[in-house]
Amino acid sequence: MKIEIEFDSAWKEGFLERLEQDGPWSSWDLYQLSLEVAQRLSVPDFYGLQAPSHLPHLTPLPHQLEVAKQVVEKMNGKAILADEVGLGKTIEAGLILKEYMIRGLVKKVLILVPASLVSQWVTELNEKFFIPAVQQKKSYVWEQCDVVVSSIDTAKKSPHREIIYQQNYDMVIIDEAHKLKNNKTKNYEFVQNLKKKFCLLLTATPIQNRIEEIFHLVSLLKPGHLGNAAYFTEKYGKTRALHADEHLKALVNKVMIRNRRMDTGIEWSKRNVETIIIEFSKEETELYNAVQSLKNISAGNQFSLITMLREACSSREALFVTLKNMLEKHEGETPSYFNELIEKINAVTKNSKAEKALELIQSINDKVIIFTEYRATQLYLQWFLKQHGISSVPFRGGFKRGKKDWMKELFKNNMQVLIATEAGGEGINLQFCHHVINYDLPWNPMRLEQRIGRVHRLGQTNDVYIYNFAVKDTVEEHILKLLYEKIHLFERVIGELDDILAKVELHNFEDYLHDIFFNSRSEGEMKIKMENLTAMIDFVDNLNKGGKTYAAT
Amino acid sequence: MQQHKIYHFLERYFRANQCEIVENGDGYLITQLTIDMDKELMNRPFYWHYIETTGGTPDPMKLTFIIKQTKETEKLKGERLHFGSPRLHQIFQSAQKRGSYIRLYENSQPLGQQFASLHPWLGLNVKVSYQCDRKRDFLLSLGLHLISGTIVEQFQERLEQLTLTPRIPDYCFTITPLIKPKSGILRLEHYIKNIIQQDDHSWADEALKRWKEDLALLDHFYEEIDEKPECYYIEKEALEEQYKPRIRVSIINGGLFYLQPRPNAHK
Repeated sequence: MKIEIEFDSAWKEGFLERLEQDGPWSSWDLYQLSLEVAQRLSVPDFYGLQAPSHLPHLTPLPHQLEVAKQVVEKMNGKAILADEVGLGKTIEAGLILKEYMIRGLVKKVLILVPASLVSQWVTELNEKFFIPAVQQKKSYVWEQCDVVVSSIDTAKKSPHREIIYQQNYDMVIIDEAHKLKNNKTKNYEFVQNLKKKFCLLLTATPIQNRIEEIFHLVSLLKPGHLGNAAYFTEKYGKTRALHADEHLKALVNKVMIRNRRMDTGIEWSKRNVETIIIEFSKEETELYNAVQSLKNISAGNQFSLITMLREACSSREALFVTLKNMLEKHEGETPSYFNELIEKINAVTKNSKAEKALELIQSINDKVIIFTEYRATQLYLQWFLKQHGISSVPFRGGFKRGKKDWMKELFKNNMQVLIATEAGGEGINLQFCHHVINYDLPWNPMRLEQRIGRVHRLGQTNDVYIYNFAVKDTVEEHILKLLYEKIHLFERVIGELDDILAKVELHNFEDYLHDIFFNSRSEGEMKIKMENLTAMIDFVDNLNKGGKTYAAT
Repeated sequence: MQQHKIYHFLERYFRANQCEIVENGDGYLITQLTIDMDKELMNRPFYWHYIETTGGTPDPMKLTFIIKQTKETEKLKGERLHFGSPRLHQIFQSAQKRGSYIRLYENSQPLGQQFASLHPWLGLNVKVSYQCDRKRDFLLSLGLHLISGTIVEQFQERLEQLTLTPRIPDYCFTITPLIKPKSGILRLEHYIKNIIQQDDHSWADEALKRWKEDLALLDHFYEEIDEKPECYYIEKEALEEQYKPRIRVSIINGGLFYLQPRPNAHK
């Protein structure tokens, strides 16, 4: 076949114009610089990766580089990236995208991710890869921006859907692609009708339940690679697991890469978890009991009661703020228990938890992050530590980006302690620290995982120490002992839990827990309900592990 | 691109564009932009519009670039540059735009009071890209003698050996081209085509093979359906865009060079 040769005529026209008008001409220096730029930016080889030399501040792990190379060189830019959680699929996708952009093969890109991950993708692509990705907020973005990140739910709806179909995308990237395992869904149909010149599907669980799921996923990427539907059902319909059929396994591996944690050879630093049970002073116990007895008066709703109990475990300051707010909103005569509580608060002279924290910080003698749920506790702790000669920086989710970075730098260079109220999945990286005190615990396992994830991630070279505080005989101890320890939260790899909880389909974990605590008539009942909850999580976990062997390569 | 090369590049770029290098130390460089370069690099059209309509005093920016982490640069405020950073690529683009067209004369010192003749050459630096689902580029630098029609390769390297000036030197005169620049370009295009045709194109054969394989899979996927759905055609189009071999030739820069005749220049 004879290949067409296209000559770009733009230069010629400009040249003839200048000949006619006798200039303007460049200087010899600029002429040489211009050629030098062209030499630098030209791609000398079909093979190999150009991206790393453009990203000197990023150090991809060996398995991530290998994935990028394989996708570009052997898979022709269409692949399912199916590494286990925590191995950095986003980095792999970013590397591949960058490579194609440098080579001038990709310009227009559509990235579909769950709504909760949109801004994270935008930040990572911009900051780590210098790819000017934009979050889709207004409908003109589809047309005017080259790299757009959106949720699939937005994209598939009119009028977005129609506009998207008119764009000529060079690359489509879909995160959490296991949501496309069912070919009867709207999402599937939407993606099927997208033109996919280069395409990456990211999922940690390519097969969850049935072997057909991999057929649908592969057929989206490369229709026919596993035959058509009739052929597949006939040939592999009875296959239980991928590894059971060598031929199928080999075929799938041509379009899918799956690295497993143990294959990567990465030494993960160890995570040491210590539970520290704190005993209240007499006054603190009295305060806690007073709050608990409000249950019988049935004052306020269940939410505020549980919140107050949790606050009582954190600091009298936290409880006081809530009480004050309630009082302000309260109409009519102030009920007597308000004053009783205020009296009990005044009677408290020390904070047993804070004293324990101080003792711990002094013995650690290294950087420490303290997480608390409450602003008032944060302020109190800052003051309390200062009294003992320890300076700290506060950190909140609401800080602007610049302030966050500034606080982080302060902590890194000048201070021993960072007190944070919000772990926030907003990409602050605190790997230089490896001691975390959970001063009080969030009632949402994901938030707890995010806290740990701030320090225990790829790249942490030290062993990580997590100290969980819980006050004896309170809701705190229950949540720690009956829930978090039972589901092995602290031993899990970051990201794993997300997968599990998605399948448990508890929409609001926190509400569910409130319900258990508030509506159980006895401690026995509460314990049984907690056991049921942990059993359910366990069950899904086991299913997942079963599913993983399906996809084993 | 190594850090010291970036440094050297920036220095030359700003000097070539009349921007004063205010300060340069270990791993950093501070430059005072001219009005023209502020407009080129700083992307603040509203400011310039405002200054120009109100007749205010223009205040082009001073830029600090940090290329290397050193003791000196640690506390310095400025933009950190490395190969791949958007700012450097913006500067690359600007350099490419500003260095596209040229006309130069060889600075020759004729003996005695004799006049010396300078011969016209058309010089082109060209990028050739082979593209399918992969891509490779190579550069050519060609010179065409606009009197005899002789074509030489590595033309740029020859030019680098000479002293060139933008104005015709004293006691020199230029010979009018016999070949018009426009047809000169065509001759060089023809020459490039020849080079390409003699090259090894197994890359394209392999891409065609991949294309055919994927197409066969696609046809198999829909073989039992008589009336093919739209996604079949979309997918087919995508495969063409992904694999179809293409060759693109673009001119990086070029121009006219008036050079002294040399006996061995035409080999």
